[in-house]
Amino acid sequence: MKMIYKVSVERCIACGKCELACAFAHGSEGRPSKSRINIHRRGPELGTPVVCFQCDDAACVTVCPTHALVRNEETAAIDMVRSRCISCRMCVAGCPFGNMLWDEAYNCVQKCDLCGGEPRCVPFCPTGAIAWVPIEEAVLPPEPLDRESLEAVP
Amino acid sequence: MRIESSDQFKAYHAEARTRDEGLTRKILVCCGTGCLATGAKEVAEAFVHEIEDRKLDVEVGLGVKSTGCHGFCERGPLVAFLPEGLLYTKVKAKKVPEIIEKTIIGRELIPGLLYKNPVNKERIAAYDEIPFYKNQVRVAMRNIGRIDPTDLMDAVAHDAYAGLAKALFEMTPDEVLDEVETSGQRGRGGAGFNTARKWRSCKSAPGDRRFVLCNGDEGDPGAFKDRSIMEGDPHSVLEGMIIGAYALGAHEGYIYVRDEYPLAVVNLQLAIIEARKVGLLGENIMGSGFDFDIQISRGGGAFVCGESSALMRSLAGMTGEPRAKYVHSTAKGLFDLPTVLNNVETWAGIGAIVHHGGAWFAAMGTDKSKGTKAFSLVGKVKNTGLIELPMGTTLRHIIYDIGGGVLKDRPFKAVQTGGPSGGCIPEELLDLPVDYEKLTEAGSMMGSGGMIVMDDRTCMVDVARYFIAFLTEESCGKCTPCREGLKQMLGLYDRLIEGRGTDGDIEKIEALAAGMQLGSLCELGKSAPNPVLSTLKYFRSEYEAHIKDHACPAGICREITAFEIMPDCDGCHACPKVCPTDAIAGTKKELHVIDHEACISCGACLDVCPTDSIRTFPKIELAAEEVV
Amino acid sequence: MPTLTVNGRKVTVGDDVYILEACRAAGVEVPTLCNFDGLEPWGGCRLCVVDMSLEKWDDDWFKLVTACNHPVEEGMTVVTDSERVLATRRVVLDLLLARCPDTPLIQRLAAELGVDETSYEKNPEHTDCILCGLCTRVCDHIGVSAIASTDRGWGREIAPPFNEPPPDCIGCLACAEVCPTDHIPFATSNVKRTIWGKDFEMLRDPKTGEAVITKAQAEHFAERSGVPMTYFETSDKSKRLEVAKTFEKLQVVK
Repeated sequence: MKMIYKVSVERCIACGKCELACAFAHGSEGRPSKSRINIHRRGPELGTPVVCFQCDDAACVTVCPTHALVRNEETAAIDMVRSRCISCRMCVAGCPFGNMLWDEAYNCVQKCDLCGGEPRCVPFCPTGAIAWVPIEEAVLPPEPLDRESLEAVP
Repeated sequence: MRIESSDQFKAYHAEARTRDEGLTRKILVCCGTGCLATGAKEVAEAFVHEIEDRKLDVEVGLGVKSTGCHGFCERGPLVAFLPEGLLYTKVKAKKVPEIIEKTIIGRELIPGLLYKNPVNKERIAAYDEIPFYKNQVRVAMRNIGRIDPTDLMDAVAHDAYAGLAKALFEMTPDEVLDEVETSGQRGRGGAGFNTARKWRSCKSAPGDRRFVLCNGDEGDPGAFKDRSIMEGDPHSVLEGMIIGAYALGAHEGYIYVRDEYPLAVVNLQLAIIEARKVGLLGENIMGSGFDFDIQISRGGGAFVCGESSALMRSLAGMTGEPRAKYVHSTAKGLFDLPTVLNNVETWAGIGAIVHHGGAWFAAMGTDKSKGTKAFSLVGKVKNTGLIELPMGTTLRHIIYDIGGGVLKDRPFKAVQTGGPSGGCIPEELLDLPVDYEKLTEAGSMMGSGGMIVMDDRTCMVDVARYFIAFLTEESCGKCTPCREGLKQMLGLYDRLIEGRGTDGDIEKIEALAAGMQLGSLCELGKSAPNPVLSTLKYFRSEYEAHIKDHACPAGICREITAFEIMPDCDGCHACPKVCPTDAIAGTKKELHVIDHEACISCGACLDVCPTDSIRTFPKIELAAEEVV
Repeated sequence: MPTLTVNGRKVTVGDDVYILEACRAAGVEVPTLCNFDGLEPWGGCRLCVVDMSLEKWDDDWFKLVTACNHPVEEGMTVVTDSERVLATRRVVLDLLLARCPDTPLIQRLAAELGVDETSYEKNPEHTDCILCGLCTRVCDHIGVSAIASTDRGWGREIAPPFNEPPPDCIGCLACAEVCPTDHIPFATSNVKRTIWGKDFEMLRDPKTGEAVITKAQAEHFAERSGVPMTYFETSDKSKRLEVAKTFEKLQVVK
């Protein structure tokens, strides 16, 4: 069953749990700069998740000189092969959506690879604004969020 | 006129023979690089002028040819006379009128120009009786010295391209391969890989486009056989390559010539132009429908470019560095396409093999090393020069019968074969038959055929150091063991020859040698330890003397050697004349004395002393004397 | 899909694989210096040597080869820890330690094999360059070829043409990043980048002034890959903001 990462913008309450989850999933210090998902906070409890689109015709793949960015046939994500990265940062500059990130502290490039098929951020989202769903469900419009009846986020 | 059929070639050949036979008498002046350096060009020009002035060409049918290397380089400039079969040595241009008068017209010999056998001091007139030539069997060098290398017709008159005609018109490519296989020929560049096997593995590689290359980079110090072939009979190389290309289905060829061989480049290029004009090279060779052309590529001055994969990189315009050999160049060579690379001498033999048959070639030589081999005999030997002999000839025969023995009859110490990849062979092994296997068993190798004879005035530690120093300069530097290892090895040797060796140095050298043999990328690094290991094997005591006694038993290493004149000096006063630092004092007829402070231990005095009254001793004893 | 034995362990690998990858698949670590996953193997450092025997050879006939560029064959036997493999690796590192006695990476690798001090004469001049060739190879791979190895033998050195600031260099820093001993110095900021004595103008985000690549880099890669220059001209932060704003416009707001 083919799965896809579905983002429903109006359900995002900008809690930032996905960012923390991602940061902790990639290094135990939980540094925010290691998060591959970024929430644009546009108002109280209003956020827009921005994350790698795993583009069909990805600019990052095209521009990488050492084929360090490769399509994973199972997850459909574009994986980063760290052993091939030469840190030229062309992918960082080239991604038209800004989803290729440069980690200063570790001097390396990082991107969302859907955690190999089990995205770690998804279980933490309290509203399902980010979801890992079968591909047929991706075309269904998102359920509107009943913001009045939101309880305090645990 | 272009040759466009087998019959037309036969006609051309007949015409060439008629022209050659029209010259009832011939004067062959050796114009190989060695003789050119001693005035051969002037000798040849003098002959031409004299003959024109006296109209001898018209009346007597006399012709002068400037030929390639006759081989007897020690005695040049050489002039041979046919049909008499006479050889004159050390001919000067000013002697030419006398030669014309006395020998050509008067049919008299000039004894002073004849070869003098150093063994029995007899003068020998006939070329074929001179031991140097008598014992040779010339296959690769069959026409060198007989033909003018810039005259295609002369080469054809001496059977050039006869093998090619046979291959193109009477044999299929596979039959040519079979013939080369029957001959058992092995590569003459040094590695001795079976020629037919190499060709077969290239032929079976997939693809339409393949190359035939000639390795003319001859880099071994002391080797000049390839130079002589390229200069003296370039058509033999072209013919061999065309036959090989036909057998393989290749249409493009390159000859990679080292840049330091300008005459070879010129003569090869002239030969290519002439061959193309007549239809022996290029499109539709001899009307057979087979296309093949050759271009020359010049090296840039690097020994490492003689290595096959480095050569191919250099040819393609890249830096001359070897690459890993797991994928063979017969499958992926020049431009990553199937390629056969063979040595000059290998190609030069192919025409004769196809012409006379593989069995003819295989009848010569030993069980595993068929045919003949060219050797450059150099060093402390009386008859220095270029020779070609059947495989299996013993070293003793080569050095003593052909070479005339050690220079000045000094004691023989060793003969170094195989260049920087080879080793030294001591006296006890002089009866070794020369072939690929036997030389390798003795700790040396055939290499390209260089043989450096050494006498007792040779320090074996210094010899090993010489080759290491050479390779240190020539290493491409790509791999760690060779680049770093050679430098460290040279440092260790410099310590030894300067008397700063310490206990454990030999073990260090041996460990480093093992690392280089196993770890290096190409044969340059892998075989660099050969001179080291072979000198250690047979002359270990010399190493130990350098380390333990700070002494050089041969009296060569200057830092640790002092010279002394013995009481039997008769005061002939020859030595002060040659001493570069005026370190010798003495009046005529009185015992001379060497001033140790001024002496730089060069040995010039010892070399010149007619009574052998100068001896060497370890310099360290001087210090001991002072203390006492 | 050939099957081979590495240190007694059987492993099956894909076609067209080198011994090095097969060793890793079998869980055996082989040290390397000049090898890099994104580049063709070079076989220059000689550290990755292993003993290997082909199926058709006698069982005790082995050849010492570099694992990084020797292709795997069905039925091959590989031994990565024989006496002579370790001895050869020691000689390689001993020699490199003599060349670069102050380089931490070499000190560490040598110590791992029991070589704490070099047995040879130390290099009187300090250098960290082990001549692994990675910098020139990555530069060639990118299609720039701004630097190369010059001279030969002991005098071999990595340098730009005539030792002048290289005209072709685009300031991508790949050479410096890929160098295992950090031998190549560079300085970079949002405004300027300097490497090999050449200064580069950075491609700065017009609003934030942030930059990750040089103008020259952008031009080179835009031409090579077909990705438009405009992609490179703003920072990732600005682009994410654009994306967010776009989605915000698109969504149905309650």
